[in-house]
Amino acid sequence: MLSRLVLTSGSALKNSGSFGACVVQASRSIHSSPQSKAPLPPLPEKGGKIRHGIFPEELFSLLYPKTGVTGPYMLGTGLLLYMLSKEIYVINHETFAALSISSVIIYGIKKFGPGVAAYADKLNEEKVAKAQEVKDVAVARLAQAIEDEKKEQWRVEGRHMLFDTKRNNVTMLLETNYRERLHMVTSEVKRRLDYQVELQNLHRRMEQEHMVNWVEQNVVKSITPQQEKESIAKCISDLKVLAKATQARAAV
Amino acid sequence: MALNFFDQFLSPTHLGIPLVLIAMIFPWVLYPSPSNRWLNNRLVTLQGQFFNRFTQQLLLPLNQGGHKWALILLSLMVFLLSINMLGMLPYTFTPTTQLSLNMGFAVPFWLATVIIGMRNQPTAALGHLLPEGTPVPLIPVLIIIETISLFIRPIALGVRLTANLTAGHLLIQLIAT
Repeated sequence: MLSRLVLTSGSALKNSGSFGACVVQASRSIHSSPQSKAPLPPLPEKGGKIRHGIFPEELFSLLYPKTGVTGPYMLGTGLLLYMLSKEIYVINHETFAALSISSVIIYGIKKFGPGVAAYADKLNEEKVAKAQEVKDVAVARLAQAIEDEKKEQWRVEGRHMLFDTKRNNVTMLLETNYRERLHMVTSEVKRRLDYQVELQNLHRRMEQEHMVNWVEQNVVKSITPQQEKESIAKCISDLKVLAKATQARAAV
Repeated sequence: MALNFFDQFLSPTHLGIPLVLIAMIFPWVLYPSPSNRWLNNRLVTLQGQFFNRFTQQLLLPLNQGGHKWALILLSLMVFLLSINMLGMLPYTFTPTTQLSLNMGFAVPFWLATVIIGMRNQPTAALGHLLPEGTPVPLIPVLIIIETISLFIRPIALGVRLTANLTAGHLLIQLIAT
């Protein structure tokens, strides 16, 4: 117990300037635990078996082959009676005090023993639980990392699909762009050609009209007055004939 | 009858062997030394937890430099605690009822604190002789009183422990009859 304190406060003591050297020697001599580094055997689960709270079970098994089951009890009774009868153990007022105190102690141990044992076990359990928790958290984090890694690997497998889609996308964009420009080019060319066509049409129409006008003028110029009179007389006679024909049709 | 009552405080010897040494060394048996295990048995676990809490409470008001006293103070207190508690059982002898033992603790401890205080911080150590906020006319008287109290301290401490234990045991005996 004291050596535990020395282990923890030894370094503090050693650092204190003036008693540095002699304290190192003193703490070396206080260390009572073995200084070897051999691994310790594990602690047994339960303490040694005892009977009636004080006597180890080994005493009973020691005496069993020679004296049977009642052997140790006879030994105890015999010793007690011997000490009483020979007055090696004198009964005085302290005997009564001893009986009272021992009965109180036994009552106390029976009542609070399990509670205290559970408390001590709880202290150890908490220590173990803390370490276990650290371990569990680390294991969980590593498992999560493994899963994430697997997911990344799966993602990498599907990467080519992504690239294909992107490639397709880009190709389509290029295609669309090309077609647009092609369309623009054709429409521009057509416009130019239409203009030329319109121009030619205009030329021909103007020539036609000019020609017709010239012909008309020439014809009008060439009509003599005599021809005019003859044509008018012809028209009148034709009209008369027609009128007669119509009357005749109307009368029928 | 008065003689009988004080018989219990005679230092026990048997066949000329002073048994007071056994009484003083016995508590050492009750505290098993810890191994390098991480998890110990119940006794060592409980004792370890008790000592840790005790030391923590003990060192609360001290700064870093005061932590050097942890070992000596804790071991002193645990020693006295166990010796006095064991003295409650019948047929035991309590060494702390002897003035010699208590003075043997009181004088070195007191002297050590005074000398270390004087060496490391003489101004503060001497400053302790005058409490804060005293009216000026009282200063000379108070310094004398504080010096006297300083020098009486080991006797006070030692005798206090002896008297308390002796009175306690005597009271138990008186009530028992």
